[in-house]
Amino acid sequence: MTLHIEPSAPDPIYRQIVGQITRLISAGTCPPGTRLPSVREVAAAHAINPMTVSKAYALLEAQGLLERQRGKGMQVADNHQAVTPAQIRLQTLQPALEQLARQARQLDLSLEQLIEALAPLMNDVEPHEGTQ
Amino acid sequence: MNHLDPVVEALALTKRYKDHTALNDVSLSVAPGTVLGLLGRNGAGKSTLMECLLGLRSADNGQARLFGKPALQINDHDKAALGYVPQQTDSLLWMKVGDALTFFASLYPTWDSHLADSLLQRWNLDSKRLIQDLSPGQRQQVAIIRALAPRPRLLVLDEPAAALDPLVRREVLREIVELAAEHGSTVVFSTHILSDLERIASHVALMHEGRLRLYGELDQLKDELRRVRWPQHSTLPALPLPGEVARRPLAEGGWSLVLNLAQAEASTLPGQASTHSLSLEDLFVELAA
Repeated sequence: MTLHIEPSAPDPIYRQIVGQITRLISAGTCPPGTRLPSVREVAAAHAINPMTVSKAYALLEAQGLLERQRGKGMQVADNHQAVTPAQIRLQTLQPALEQLARQARQLDLSLEQLIEALAPLMNDVEPHEGTQ
Repeated sequence: MNHLDPVVEALALTKRYKDHTALNDVSLSVAPGTVLGLLGRNGAGKSTLMECLLGLRSADNGQARLFGKPALQINDHDKAALGYVPQQTDSLLWMKVGDALTFFASLYPTWDSHLADSLLQRWNLDSKRLIQDLSPGQRQQVAIIRALAPRPRLLVLDEPAAALDPLVRREVLREIVELAAEHGSTVVFSTHILSDLERIASHVALMHEGRLRLYGELDQLKDELRRVRWPQHSTLPALPLPGEVARRPLAEGGWSLVLNLAQAEASTLPGQASTHSLSLEDLFVELAA
């Protein structure tokens, strides 16, 4: 699992980690049982604060996406589909939505025009979930 | 001293140099395990604040407290629990790197010689070279090893990254957070490299013209602070809005505000006001420009 961390982004690092792991799990890239790198490994690899990684893992655990294995660290939970509410899945789109809203305002487009353009895209069946 | 008591504290610190006010009524309290990044333009008061907090400089008003006592009155035992890397170090230039570190090891009961040796090796420092023959960056690295090896309870670094190449900088960042995470140490460091701060800091303090303009948990600030574009045709109240952190007029008309969403009230914003998330750099520009 390779995480991409941008320290200078407006999005705090813990949210970046939560967002990426959530997407990897929901896209099926990390099936249930996948072991996650330890907090120490992630922190050392990116020269970031281990507390930030712990915070992200704890949030993912609270959301039911990860489960703690005694003595083995974190792994992707078995039953994540059932326990991930739409509200939390929507949260992972927040940065993309903010960017969309910003660009739409710069182009002087109304909410109605945006919805009109977005609706047909939502009905498309995409073979892969887009990742950055 | 309770384990949750602040490790270091500024209580309404004011410091003047002739007609220049370097610190203006600065108060902040740093809890154990915090990694605090200090930001500000040159001359904003960062170094003076660190020197006052360490008891190296007396304030004109207010008090700095360290390990629960006045910073100016700490004893040798407290001093042995402090690590400090000033902006420039020119001590013991005539000594060899290895001899200097052996000398420091004798001063600190908690000196970790394994750590000192492994850092010397990883950073390719020749222990037989004289310190005066090292580059400024290498001298800085020796000073950082000296500060890290005793596993201090409080580590203070004044622009530790300024003279370092990007690879060593990353290594230094790793060692700093490891000290905090594994040993529960508290770290205060100043920097102009925002991405360094964003990687490792749990808290950020922004100084501007001697005042503390912003202090808080980095994640929380990024989550809660937003830039609001206030349109030209709508009147901006003279008094600060709820949650307002900063305001400045825009060249093209209207205002740019920084608001804390957790305290702001949507009803006080005009309909056409637009909200944008802020990077730390954006925030720096809004508060220190």
